[in-house]
Amino acid sequence: MKEPLIELVGVNKWFGSFHALKDINLRVAEGERIVVCGPSGSGKSTMIRCVNQLEAHQEGDIVIAGRHYGRDERENAAIRSDIGMVFQSFNLFPHLTVLENCTFALTYVKQLPKAQADAIALELLTRVRIPEQAAKYPMQLSGGQQQRVAIARALCMRPKIMLFDEPTASLDPEMINEVLATMIELAESGMTMMVVTHEMGFARKVADRIIFMDQGEIVEEAPPERFFREPEYDRTRLFLSQIL
Amino acid sequence: MAKEQKTSGAAAGAAAFKTFTPMAARPAPKDLTGVTAWLRTNLFSSVPSALLTFLGLWIAWSVLSALVSWGWVNAVFQASSRRECLDKVGLSGACWPGVVVWIPNLIYGLYPKDQVWRINWGALLLIVWLLPLWLPRVQSKIIIGFSTVLLFPLLASYLFLGGPKGWIWTALIAVGLTGFLWSLLTAASESLGGGPFLRLAARLMGAKTAEEEAQRGRLALLGLFAIAVLLVTQWNLDFVPTRVWGGLFLTLVISGFAITFSLPAGIILALGRRSKMPVISLLCTTFIELFRSVPLITILFMFNTMLPLFLPAGVEVNQLLRAIVAVCLFASAYMAEIVRGGLQAIPRGQYEAASAMGLGYWQSTSLIIMPQALKIMIPNIVGIFIGLLKDTTLVSIVGLFDLLSMARAIARDPGWIGLFLEPMFFITVVYFIFCFAMSQYSMSLEKRLGAGERR
Ligand SMILES: Nc1ncnc2c1ncn2[C@@H]1O[C@H](COP(=O)(O)OP(=O)(O)OP(=O)(O)O)[C@@H](O)[C@H]1O
Ligand SMILES: [Mg+2]
Repeated sequence: MKEPLIELVGVNKWFGSFHALKDINLRVAEGERIVVCGPSGSGKSTMIRCVNQLEAHQEGDIVIAGRHYGRDERENAAIRSDIGMVFQSFNLFPHLTVLENCTFALTYVKQLPKAQADAIALELLTRVRIPEQAAKYPMQLSGGQQQRVAIARALCMRPKIMLFDEPTASLDPEMINEVLATMIELAESGMTMMVVTHEMGFARKVADRIIFMDQGEIVEEAPPERFFREPEYDRTRLFLSQIL
Repeated sequence: MAKEQKTSGAAAGAAAFKTFTPMAARPAPKDLTGVTAWLRTNLFSSVPSALLTFLGLWIAWSVLSALVSWGWVNAVFQASSRRECLDKVGLSGACWPGVVVWIPNLIYGLYPKDQVWRINWGALLLIVWLLPLWLPRVQSKIIIGFSTVLLFPLLASYLFLGGPKGWIWTALIAVGLTGFLWSLLTAASESLGGGPFLRLAARLMGAKTAEEEAQRGRLALLGLFAIAVLLVTQWNLDFVPTRVWGGLFLTLVISGFAITFSLPAGIILALGRRSKMPVISLLCTTFIELFRSVPLITILFMFNTMLPLFLPAGVEVNQLLRAIVAVCLFASAYMAEIVRGGLQAIPRGQYEAASAMGLGYWQSTSLIIMPQALKIMIPNIVGIFIGLLKDTTLVSIVGLFDLLSMARAIARDPGWIGLFLEPMFFITVVYFIFCFAMSQYSMSLEKRLGAGERR
């Protein structure tokens, strides 16, 4: 197997006295697509947020492309710059236009000149099919368009890894498909992705592996066909019977 | 995407389905529009509502008519003393001449009459400095704005205070003057299409590369400073002690300081209070709670009488300065809580999105969080500003003659003895104009910043 791009080794995380992640071990190779699912409160968001250290873990090791998160905030920021993240609530900056949202990190983190940043942003807005909305403010867009802007914004930084935390959970059914289509295209382009979602159709189509979590643990880890056809654990079976 | 799918679906099923055509919109029924309809729905929708309308009209009418007959119809406009007014109309009309002869004092306090031009020039200076902010083609508005806030006080304090100046003082005034000249030149060169002034100057000096431009630009700035120093050393103004400052001028000096100081200080305190470092957070919280739980009047007294006890003997802190510091600290504590409220209204996702993009604390705070928070806070911030302008009346208790004290002094003028109501009415109007202007400005600012961002 290739050197993994993301590696979690014995990761434990507590919120106060609450044990939120228990001995998580996970290896994701470059170009692999992982879908994470599980009941509410099982720690899916917490795990994915640990991968870019929006939440700090207390025990274990998280290694991204061979680099360890540690105490050095600079180093952590450098590691994080390889990772893009898309949130359930979009989290676009409402006081900036769509284009400015996309160029923001290019200007202030990568310190590119404006013309170059604009060109990159427009290229990615075109890729998510909304270049004509560039001058608008996020609040003037539909939910699906906002989420696609969020994806473009994350891609602007040319990340090696993309994290998605329930990207379609707060969208109307009509818009879910346009966002999923964008994500499928992204997957086809070879991006390494970790996606928390309940869209099992997407999981079946795109995922290399599906991870099922419950109560802070990884219960089951399997390729889609096996995961849906013959899950090993009764917990997984129960979960699948509830959502399918 | 979604649209394509829908149309292709419609095409495929065209034979099987009926076509939906939306109904055309009709104009609203007549009795929903027009003046009478408006009157009926808003003023006379029911018997109690009609009665309230009449009651309101009656109250407004009686107040206004009383005011007009006192202040205009029965008022005296020509007289040389209050006695004369009283002989003419008694108490039924206002006696305006007393206010009119006192207007210079109300505005400038006891500032020497032959020096009053300095205050006028100071005001003009401020206006000219800020003018570029309203010129459409000027790009460096933010820097010009900052330069005004930071450097105008340096220049103005010498203009108002005057007196001998050591070399530190000279340098500071020159910095102020440099800022002013730079702002003017920048505004001019940008309006005429020449780009920022320093770059233009550098290019005129033959700079080719960006590096040379920056270097020669600095040189140009230094040249400007040298000119400013030269001007300042030639510039000698009589000393006017702060003791004689007063009236509207003093009110604006104190509230101006408090307003410009309290916002940045409040922001820093609010960030400090939310900080994860316990020592900083504790310090800021203590400061805020301490100053918020004590009346301004007490703080003014404390600063006035207790500060000298803590300072080494011989160190004299100007009385006006003491009052300004007291008001500033008080205002920042209040501002801090308002800013904190605004910061709390920003969803956590904004911080997370910023830090996931690799922005550091200061970048995300100043570029993402603050602009959004400040926008929500505009009404509250302006509320504090308005409160400050009015609270400066309290400095009269530590012996400073602000607008209110000057107005009350009229009643003690032998010629106008007992004239109280008219000056009060006059300063009410003055305060109202300033406060109303601020609140209108805040509303227009809100509207402008809110464009295209309705949630
Ligand atoms: N900041 C926090 N402080 C305390 N507890 C937290 C915090 N964030 C999450 N938790 C707890 O950790 C557990 C896992 O939360 P997490 O958000 O990872 O669940 P999830 O699997 O993403 O659920 P959902 O499907 O509802 O998003 C939950 O029990 C939650 O209450
Ligand atoms: Mg979650």
